[in-house]
Amino acid sequence: MATPQVSRDGGAQRARPLIDIQNVSKTYVTASSGNVHALNKVDLTIAEGEFVCVVGPSGCGKSTLLRMLAGLDTYDAGKLSLDDQAVTGPSGKVGVVFQAANLLPWLSVRENVRLPLRVGGRHDAADQRIDGLLEMTGLGEFGARYPYELSGGMQQRAGICRALARDPQILLMDEPFGALDALTRERMNIELQRIWQTHRKTIMLITHSISEAIFLGDRVVVMSARPGRILADLHVPIPRPRSFDTIVSHPSYAKLASEIRGLLNAQEGAPND
Amino acid sequence: MTSTTIRSAVSPVEVIERTDLNPDAAMQSAVEDAAPPPPQGKRQAVNGSIIAGMGLVALIALWIFAVRVLRVPPYILPAPEAVLNALWSGLAVNPASPKGFYLPLWSTLSNAAMGFAIGTGLGLVLGSLMAESRTVEKLLMPYAFALQSLPKVAIAPLVVIWFGFGDGSKVAIAALLAFFPVLINSFTGLRSTEPERLDLMRSLSATRFETYRIVKLPNAAPFIFAGLDMAVVYALLGAIVAEFLGAQQGMGVVITQAQAVSDVAGVFAALVILGVLGIALHSSVRRLEHRVVHWAHRGKR
Repeated sequence: MATPQVSRDGGAQRARPLIDIQNVSKTYVTASSGNVHALNKVDLTIAEGEFVCVVGPSGCGKSTLLRMLAGLDTYDAGKLSLDDQAVTGPSGKVGVVFQAANLLPWLSVRENVRLPLRVGGRHDAADQRIDGLLEMTGLGEFGARYPYELSGGMQQRAGICRALARDPQILLMDEPFGALDALTRERMNIELQRIWQTHRKTIMLITHSISEAIFLGDRVVVMSARPGRILADLHVPIPRPRSFDTIVSHPSYAKLASEIRGLLNAQEGAPND
Repeated sequence: MTSTTIRSAVSPVEVIERTDLNPDAAMQSAVEDAAPPPPQGKRQAVNGSIIAGMGLVALIALWIFAVRVLRVPPYILPAPEAVLNALWSGLAVNPASPKGFYLPLWSTLSNAAMGFAIGTGLGLVLGSLMAESRTVEKLLMPYAFALQSLPKVAIAPLVVIWFGFGDGSKVAIAALLAFFPVLINSFTGLRSTEPERLDLMRSLSATRFETYRIVKLPNAAPFIFAGLDMAVVYALLGAIVAEFLGAQQGMGVVITQAQAVSDVAGVFAALVILGVLGIALHSSVRRLEHRVVHWAHRGKR
């Protein structure tokens, strides 16, 4: 267990695959630079209950991959399925956590978190979920406040609550803590780990931070520069619950970190073709 | 009044930035008319009433100076006390008296209010349809701008022919003037919605109307209020212009009648009332905006 292993299947043997990406490619057409080959034959399977972090250089298509899973973007080739159903558009199985929270400033915190229930006209008993979610993330007293009255960390907590409002199986998180300062970010990582352990969602999280990826992930998937491919799929053999104090002293932490850093650094000089 | 000047000084730059979604360059210059949400300067708000008060005192001092020292004749510029007198004789009467300002004021205001409601309502509905559909935009935008570039005073006689000398023509011209600022501002505001917010609604499988109602309309609210702010004054203007062409009652009639007997002080008194009314209407729209669009004022630094 001390050596990080490169495995294609990761934890997929433990449970059924919930997210299945096979051979997916994507080419954008832009006005300024013509055809942009964003993703190239990406294969990735994520099992039910698994926490997978995706790291890669800027513009490698990792956000595109997440948007495709959320049904917000189309793909040209390959197969993309959630819970054995091909992705054709947004689905109730998925909750999305956006960069920088993306709360609506004209709604109170509670109304923001309730938004997924309001859309589609679901209210009633589900409303109690909202209070539970706010309590769980320490926002219980802030429900009536407006987003601008909250710190960045609290805003993103509300963003996570909103993604959980419909009780989705899958949580897709697109660099959710990128805008936060380092300390707040660590605190949010610890909190997210706790949320994941209590709710057992399947999470795919995109990040730039190697330490965040290792801290949170059961697996860390490293992507190449554009067109994005999967370079490595690394299992993180560090027991949970993890803490930032103990994780750095774990023998596999340094090895994983340097391996990921090596893979990413090798991409810096790679041509973007 | 200070805030109005600040806004018009800032608006063109901001609106050009916001209209980059609009592909037609020819229309962009006209879109500059659309005022963006006014910037909120805290300092102006604190000193605003003091500055306005000092300005008023200076204006009256200048007026007295012109009348007493420069001896400007009263048929050009009546003395302040003569205007005050005319104001008093129009205001200190039974509200039902035909000699007072109340009946004509009520008549003008109610026509302006009706025109405002129709014009801004139509502007919001058509602006929304244009923002939602490229087809409707391509279909209506040229006519909207054609209509706006016609001088309203020139259309007014036509409107009188259609709607007669009664309230109908006053309401119609007030509506015509109130329509355009709300049309353009709601269109611009609705189109300026951040793509991330639209993604959020899409990820929730929201219907088009839910997206409009929950995201686009609140997003456009500061723009729409800036449009309403202009529209409320334009509606008043429209009603009075229509009254000049012929009416039984209204502040426009008061002015033309005073003019007919060379009662310059009477004309001034009516103008003072209309000016005060304009400021009152403008500030009540602003107060409403602060209530409704509270997040835009307290949130931004």
